Amino acid sequence: MQEDNKRREFIKKMAAASLSASATSIPVASFLGSCSRPVQKLASTADTVILLWMAGGMAHTETFDPKAYVPYEKGVESKRVLSTFPKIPTVVDGLHFSKGLESIAGVMDKGAIIRSYKSADLGHILHTRHQYHWHTCYEPPQSVQAPHIGAWIAKELGPKNPVIPPFIAMGQRFTVGEAEELKAFHSAGFLGTEFGPFLIPDPAGGLESVRPPKGMSLKRFEARYKLYKELADKSGFLKQGSDYQKESLMRSMEQSYRLLNSPEAKVFDLSQEPKEVYDTYNTGRFGLGCLLAKRLAQNGGRFISVSTEYEPFLGWDTHENGHIRAKKMKELVDRPIAQLIKDLDESGHLDRTLVILASEFSRDAIMEGRPGETVKDQVDQPDIIEDEKFYGMHRHFTDGSSILLWGGGVEKGLVYGKTADERPCSSVENPVVIDQVHQSIYHALGIHPETHYTIEGRPFYTTPDGQGKPILDLFGQPVGKS
Amino acid sequence: MEDFNWIFKFLGRLHPLLVHFPIGLLVVALFLELLTLGGKRPGLREGIHWMVFLGTVSAVLSALFGWLLRNQEDYSGTLVDNHQYLGIATALFAIITLALLRGTLKGKLPHFRIYRISLLCTVILLTLAGHLGANLTHGEDYLTSVFTDDKTAYDEGKGLELLAELKRTDTLSAAQQDRLNLEVRAILAHNCYQCHSENKQKGDLVLDSKEGVFKGGESGEVVIAGNPDRSELYRRITLAPDHDEVMPKKGKVLKKSEIALIGLWIKNGAHWSDQEVKVFPEAELALVKPVLPESDEKHPVDKLIGNYFDQQNKEWPPLVEDRVFVRRAYLDIVGLLPPKKAVDSFVKNTRPDKRSVLIDSLLADGHNYTQHWLSFWNDLLRNDYSGTGFITGGRKQITDWLYNSLLHNKGYDQMVKELIDPSPESEGFIKGIQWRGVVNASQRTEMQAAQNIGQSLLGVNVKCASCHNSFVSNLTLEQSYGFASIFADSVLELNRCDKPLGKMAEVGFLYPELGDVKAENVQERLFKLSQVMVKPENGRLYRTIVNRYWAKLMGRGIVEPLDEMDNQPWDRDLLDWLASDFIDSGHDLKHLIKRIMTSKAYQLAAANYERPDEVKEDYVFNGPLLRRLSAEQFSDAVSQVFFPVFHAVEYDPSGQKPTAQRIWHREIKFDRDVLPEPGKRYFRKSFVIPAKNILEAKALISVDHAYTLYINGEQVAQGNDWKRVGKIHVGRFLRPGKNLVAIEGVNEGVIANPAGVLFAMEIEFDDGHKIKVDSDTSWKSSAEHPNGAWTAVDFDDTAWGQVRNYGHSNWGKLVGFTFEDDRSGFARASLVKQHSFLKALGRPSRENVTTSRDQQATLLQALELTNGEFFNSVLEEAAELWIEKFGGEGQKIVDHLYWNTLGRNPSEKERNLLLSVLGDRPKKEDVQDVFWSTVILPEFQFIN
Repeated sequence: MQEDNKRREFIKKMAAASLSASATSIPVASFLGSCSRPVQKLASTADTVILLWMAGGMAHTETFDPKAYVPYEKGVESKRVLSTFPKIPTVVDGLHFSKGLESIAGVMDKGAIIRSYKSADLGHILHTRHQYHWHTCYEPPQSVQAPHIGAWIAKELGPKNPVIPPFIAMGQRFTVGEAEELKAFHSAGFLGTEFGPFLIPDPAGGLESVRPPKGMSLKRFEARYKLYKELADKSGFLKQGSDYQKESLMRSMEQSYRLLNSPEAKVFDLSQEPKEVYDTYNTGRFGLGCLLAKRLAQNGGRFISVSTEYEPFLGWDTHENGHIRAKKMKELVDRPIAQLIKDLDESGHLDRTLVILASEFSRDAIMEGRPGETVKDQVDQPDIIEDEKFYGMHRHFTDGSSILLWGGGVEKGLVYGKTADERPCSSVENPVVIDQVHQSIYHALGIHPETHYTIEGRPFYTTPDGQGKPILDLFGQPVGKS
Repeated sequence: MEDFNWIFKFLGRLHPLLVHFPIGLLVVALFLELLTLGGKRPGLREGIHWMVFLGTVSAVLSALFGWLLRNQEDYSGTLVDNHQYLGIATALFAIITLALLRGTLKGKLPHFRIYRISLLCTVILLTLAGHLGANLTHGEDYLTSVFTDDKTAYDEGKGLELLAELKRTDTLSAAQQDRLNLEVRAILAHNCYQCHSENKQKGDLVLDSKEGVFKGGESGEVVIAGNPDRSELYRRITLAPDHDEVMPKKGKVLKKSEIALIGLWIKNGAHWSDQEVKVFPEAELALVKPVLPESDEKHPVDKLIGNYFDQQNKEWPPLVEDRVFVRRAYLDIVGLLPPKKAVDSFVKNTRPDKRSVLIDSLLADGHNYTQHWLSFWNDLLRNDYSGTGFITGGRKQITDWLYNSLLHNKGYDQMVKELIDPSPESEGFIKGIQWRGVVNASQRTEMQAAQNIGQSLLGVNVKCASCHNSFVSNLTLEQSYGFASIFADSVLELNRCDKPLGKMAEVGFLYPELGDVKAENVQERLFKLSQVMVKPENGRLYRTIVNRYWAKLMGRGIVEPLDEMDNQPWDRDLLDWLASDFIDSGHDLKHLIKRIMTSKAYQLAAANYERPDEVKEDYVFNGPLLRRLSAEQFSDAVSQVFFPVFHAVEYDPSGQKPTAQRIWHREIKFDRDVLPEPGKRYFRKSFVIPAKNILEAKALISVDHAYTLYINGEQVAQGNDWKRVGKIHVGRFLRPGKNLVAIEGVNEGVIANPAGVLFAMEIEFDDGHKIKVDSDTSWKSSAEHPNGAWTAVDFDDTAWGQVRNYGHSNWGKLVGFTFEDDRSGFARASLVKQHSFLKALGRPSRENVTTSRDQQATLLQALELTNGEFFNSVLEEAAELWIEKFGGEGQKIVDHLYWNTLGRNPSEKERNLLLSVLGDRPKKEDVQDVFWSTVILPEFQFIN
């Protein structure tokens, strides 16, 4: 048990921590204050972030970084297969994608691509461990719970529209395999549940999460709250114990009441969209997630993630039938993503909305892990492909993958970094690690790179040790010229 | 403006030059003025007049230029402030003096006395300002740095004392050498470690180790033993404060005494003591059991608290009434609300020791006590039924061990021994959590063991020191690795912030004075550590646990935060007495609870603090705090009063293994088993009954989401809530020979989600023989609607597939799924797998040790209570039940509600309000809303 407001005691903003350090007379703790710059609100190029999460490991050579196309024929050698789709051009000169991504190819003049993302080297691959790392910037396990990037943003910037929760995570259910690991990073960690994700597994049902309970009319909902308030007033209890404890409880109930009673809840209502718009987006739950993300971004969402959903061996987690399944996944994501970018652009919201598409790592037909650090194999891939189900990228590859970005100050048409054209298709130019990705997002939002809190006596930064640096080139500010 | 800044800067820099004029002129004026006392030397008057005039003008100018200098060149600090104020005051007084002199000369004032006093004041102010100015300026350069009155925790008194002592002697004794060195290292710790330590090695110089100090930095050696003047370190700390090379840094220099001590240390050969320098306050390891003060109080805790109140000049606050006490006692010992009968009889009881008797009887309620305190221990020992790591075998529960330890009130020393030197049942604690793949050095499981033992059992933070030397305690990286090595099969290599240091750890416990833990293998080391840990000399272990129990029962610890046991307790005697008493009781946790709860201190009314920070630092005990019901208490209270919140447990204390499996149609996508899609599925199982008389035949069924059950073609039952176990007598449907159970199951929803049939049938014959038919993988299923009489025995199901066992993980063990008579009827929340409802109410995900739950109400929590479908459906079910039970009588509903939730009658106003909502014939919705409004009340949600 602990007293109210304990969290504030544990977690102190850096400035506060350095102040209190002198008050509590712990000399070396002032180390924190004296060796870091004070947190300040920086200039920003974005207010809202949409993360389009390609869960399960999307092969870069099959999507946004195509290599030599080797069509399927019985007896083809696995080692010859680099891409199972032909290239297509995009609207950006010299930039090619893989077939099946024509719609996204059409909006690349509004965005940028990083082609040299390197995942962490975590040994024997576990998807959720890499996903945890991607979303928190910390490798699990950690001695304190690391917050999701959405929780950091919610904590630092708060809601943009007071009735829209600042961290919304769509598309992922927690009844699947590795559910506990998924829950572990869908969390505000030590920042406290207040900043945790507002979960919407099924975007079509998003409205329910922000309305009075099912089957309860607004009138009844209001009467119920009024009854509670009157009973609270009449109960003599309000005179006992510390007021601040009771107030915190009453206040949270009031906030919740106001949110659920708010007309703005219709933002969550997809039926408000014209049918043709709904149909354009509706390739499934992911597509509808993009539609809801659009509505949220246009109405004051802060951090919104839409996942294709991780479920072991499904989605982008192709352990076999890689070609066919990559084709299906592209059908799922291509149209709604492109439409999202177009709609945000047309409504003028793309300027201040950073849209990011990423995956925990890539895939390859041959290599498990990365060059020099190959790890325990998990896939049965024959040298000679006699059955089409072995045609595709089935192993987990951590040395190069693609990240797409649009809006929020990102330089349009930029291609950053590259991977080798021959196997291993590793990042060979401007390699990017997760710390840089996070810091680039924080940079766009104007969150100081050394933002941290003191938890259990230790500083905990947005990126480990506060060392991460944004990729300024993404924002048209090459290093040294800013 | 920017271009003219140099002018201001230049004028500003004239300030020091200019200040000498007023100093000279005004001082000389005063001197000459003194010569004129008594009406002598009138000839000096003219000269004095001019001097005061010029002195005043230059005083005003120098004040102005000084102000420019300060603003142009960023001076700040109290010294500068004071200098500025005095300078301005000097100028003002000079003007006044001049005016007075002129007034006197013109005959407006009768005599020179006022002017003379004013001149004297001006010169005194001038002297003071000049003195501060001299302090500010050092040498020919101007100061450029910030002065702050920096008093760190370094205790100067001790240093001064030592300095005085050493100055008296020529040769230092060995003890003095040690003290001198430790003092010097303390000075280095407080002033230099920030930049020159293992953690941060500016200029390659490390000052927190002997090697580092004598190795020096990138510019070579810094300490030449015996020769301060040739030592770079000494040179740098003795430079002028504004020198570019001065250390610790420009503008922040060491105190004279500190410099002198360092000089003295180098001069005396720079001896290095083997002792560790303790930078941070550390609690004594051993307990000091205080003698209880003379007092009229009978209870030992109250004798101490009485003494404490005396010291605080406080009176004892009032005790709570019986009704409040009984609620507190129930919730604190068994985690449940007191039944109305218990409250009534307790209030009526006239025995003087009835409170103590109640505490005893509740502590004797083994399972309920265990099921309440289990949550505290699960948090503390990071034990849970689900969580990361389990999936790849990298984690192990200790639930069974823990449950039985609490149930049998195992001695705490024994528990600690079994956690550290574990059996397979308790090894989960030190095994930690291992995710698949490689793990960074500071999170390897051995390090987790050290961290968790440190935090949970000893209240010391090892986490900090597992990456680098701690900057919140005296722990070093080496100590952490030494501690972790106890649990390691092989010698660990030290890593600083994940970079290997090429140095191997040496096995050792954090408190070597307790005994040696070195041994050839892990097994022996664990044995030794377990013995060392529980020694009575290890006061830390016992202080830590009694402090946690105190905090749990009183809302705030005697030391806070609970994991930082080096912090000051608000009553040291109380803490050490409780810990000693706990040891004397045979480490009896129930005794500890009783000790605290029988005291008046526990029975005081909830204390009122105005601001949250009043219960942090400078806390003064004034009675227990209000405590919010924990997630488990809230959930169990709702289950008790209304309707079961949870129906299924994850851990079954009875130890019975379920025989029936949760089955469903096997669904495959891309050759993989996946979650079932929504829709109807059909299940069949045939079995043979011998030609005997059936005595009794019962079936249990639970299907997620809905079912229709057929036996031998006849419809037997239907249901649409997996939590409600169907219990059916099926004897009349059965016949000798081949029989058939058929189930039509429905998976609802719009996306694939868990679904499952759980079925068990027990047929007892008159000869005592029994047969059982359970759902398992011998059942068959189909996704297509079968043509023909598929529920009949003779239907051909050869084309049907075999079902898949979906396991119990999504459902847990239904408490009602038993052929025996229903037991309590609801699942205690402490035995339930982590659930979004409990999580929202603050049950932590036990990925890390959690020793204090978040008490702050949050929006997500409120949302869960306000529109959470889960919670609202519980209340809805309850409303239906109550309307049936009380025949729709509003009055009865209201009384029953208030007694069972708040333990009292509603007031007239409350009753009228509620009855007006319920009306004559209460509708389900109204009853549900009344329930909701009551359980949300602070009066319900707080332990008063």
